[in-house]
Amino acid sequence: MTEVVVRCSGVTRTYQDEAVPVYALRGVDFEVRRGEFVSLAGPSGSGKSTLLNVIGGLDRPDEGRVEVDGTLLNDLSQSELSDMRLNKMGFVFQAYNLIPVLSALENVEFIMQLQGVGAAERKERARVALASLGISELEHRRPGELSGGQQQRAAIARAIVTNPVLLLADEPSANLDSGATQELLELLQRLNEDSGVTIITATHDPMVMSYAKRRINLRDGAIVEDAINEALPA
Amino acid sequence: MSDAPAGVARNVRARATPMLAMRIGWRNLWRNARRTWLTAGGIAFAILLVVFSMALQFGSYAGMTENATSLLTGHLQIQNPAYVNDQRVEHTIADATIVRRQIEATPGVLAVAPRVEIFALALDAEGERSSGVQIMGVDVAAELSTVRFLKMVKQGRVLQSADEAVIGATLARNLGLDVGDELLLLGSAKQGGMAALALRVVGLFESGMAELDRGLLFAELEAVQNAFELGDEVHTFAIKVVDLESIDTTLGMLRREIVRDDVVIRHWEEVLPELQQAIELDRVSGQFLYWMIMILVVFSVVNSFIMTVFERTREFGMLLALGTRPAGIVALVLWEALFMWMLGALIGLSLATGLLWWLADVGIYLGAAMEEFSAQFYMPSRIYPALTAGAMLTAPLVMLIGTLLAALVPALRIPLMQPVEALRAE
Repeated sequence: MTEVVVRCSGVTRTYQDEAVPVYALRGVDFEVRRGEFVSLAGPSGSGKSTLLNVIGGLDRPDEGRVEVDGTLLNDLSQSELSDMRLNKMGFVFQAYNLIPVLSALENVEFIMQLQGVGAAERKERARVALASLGISELEHRRPGELSGGQQQRAAIARAIVTNPVLLLADEPSANLDSGATQELLELLQRLNEDSGVTIITATHDPMVMSYAKRRINLRDGAIVEDAINEALPA
Repeated sequence: MSDAPAGVARNVRARATPMLAMRIGWRNLWRNARRTWLTAGGIAFAILLVVFSMALQFGSYAGMTENATSLLTGHLQIQNPAYVNDQRVEHTIADATIVRRQIEATPGVLAVAPRVEIFALALDAEGERSSGVQIMGVDVAAELSTVRFLKMVKQGRVLQSADEAVIGATLARNLGLDVGDELLLLGSAKQGGMAALALRVVGLFESGMAELDRGLLFAELEAVQNAFELGDEVHTFAIKVVDLESIDTTLGMLRREIVRDDVVIRHWEEVLPELQQAIELDRVSGQFLYWMIMILVVFSVVNSFIMTVFERTREFGMLLALGTRPAGIVALVLWEALFMWMLGALIGLSLATGLLWWLADVGIYLGAAMEEFSAQFYMPSRIYPALTAGAMLTAPLVMLIGTLLAALVPALRIPLMQPVEALRAE
């Protein structure tokens, strides 16, 4: 049986909005196994980004348990969560969020520097990651000198260069045109299929959903549908 | 990517290497170049102003000290402890010749002038006019090597023989005397009897200090010792040291060399407490001004870093999300602050050093109008800045600490940030 990478049990997250509790997540239960490509779908306010943040240890649930790669996140301190994110997760953000003063290569190297990887190995791995995303020739450009699609590729290179257990992508196509979105999705698909990277993406873009192997629909903080994408080959 | 399969990640703690943090810190500095130049300019201005003022202040103290001590007191004085508070004729140092040799043999001593100092009544030859005076029995050659008072003889000449006197111009006027006239000194000898000494005025001095011009009289040492039954005894040894900067070393050597009950060795600060107090007062008021300038500039640095931290909240959220420890992000801000300080310090110190180097050569002339006024406070007519380590390093070091603290205060907000909220910041 395939190993479970993410296990959420009864996850609830509530926000206070002018003394009125707003339920972002209501007792969410689900599992993601190694090698899956899952899209969390739903309209704005459905709780998909909140669920992604909770899985990524960026936010804490009020109730319920979140396990990533066998570690219960509820018990971890902020520092331990930082280390967990550094060592086991890769993040791709809607706004790319590259470090503006570093080149594409340095941005990819950055995360390995935090891990203490030696300079030569770091540079080599960063170059391989950029090459695998087709932007080797742009390695010395800073984010401001790259297009949105190129920045997103650099962000993905940064996210995967450490071989994370889990790649989390929050609305990765939100700022891309359809051509760039398709390229990005083909890239994620290739990573998932060729390298076995487990991917969870929060999106309301049907195109992104069409590339995911599994779609979890959320509405008002609860899972209303959890289905395999039949359109993709098994 | 490496060949390792997905999910096989090492479990390590985030550590931003200094080189990485330095690189990001330096480049961040230029994200808003105008703000950086303004803030660094403020630091440079504070350093320039404070370094320049302190160098000038220290330079003026050195000038004042040299002016004051070279006039009459010398850098050090040796006296009988009883004489310090009660200047009676019998409070002397015995065996003056031996003590003088010991002083002259001490390293760091450039010159020594033995003196007999006695209060007496001066009368004109006819005995019609009189005035209280302090007789200074001096060895003229030693006196001229040690202090410059006798160089202030404006009329006549200095002493050459035992029956001669040099007196203040005001005293001469009060007694109706001129160069060539005779005067009589009457006082109490050491053994209690009456002492009398007839002298011929050979020179008149004008020091510009009314008290001295009115009440001081110089005569040959031996003549005064004989007249007042002092034998080989003196009241004071005035000492000039080779280097005023190392006066404390010389003082220590003298204290080890001359161990006697009838001797106390005094620093010029004890001999001229009013000068020391004036310097201290000026130093304190100067420091108050310097602190005000530096605090104002530090506030502008705080403002700059508050804006930096607020503007980059989202970026810090991203760094936290990637696994950077909050302390690592604070370190980035502090590196940026350090580079900001280095930039300001480099500019400020370069300008200050250039300016002071030039002024150390030419000095700042206070002007003819200030000359008489400044003389009363032992101020030289031309001030030379002192390029000392204290003057050059105090402001840069204070600004370094101030700049780092100014950056640390807003940066302490970073550990309190929740990554998810920081990522939502506009």
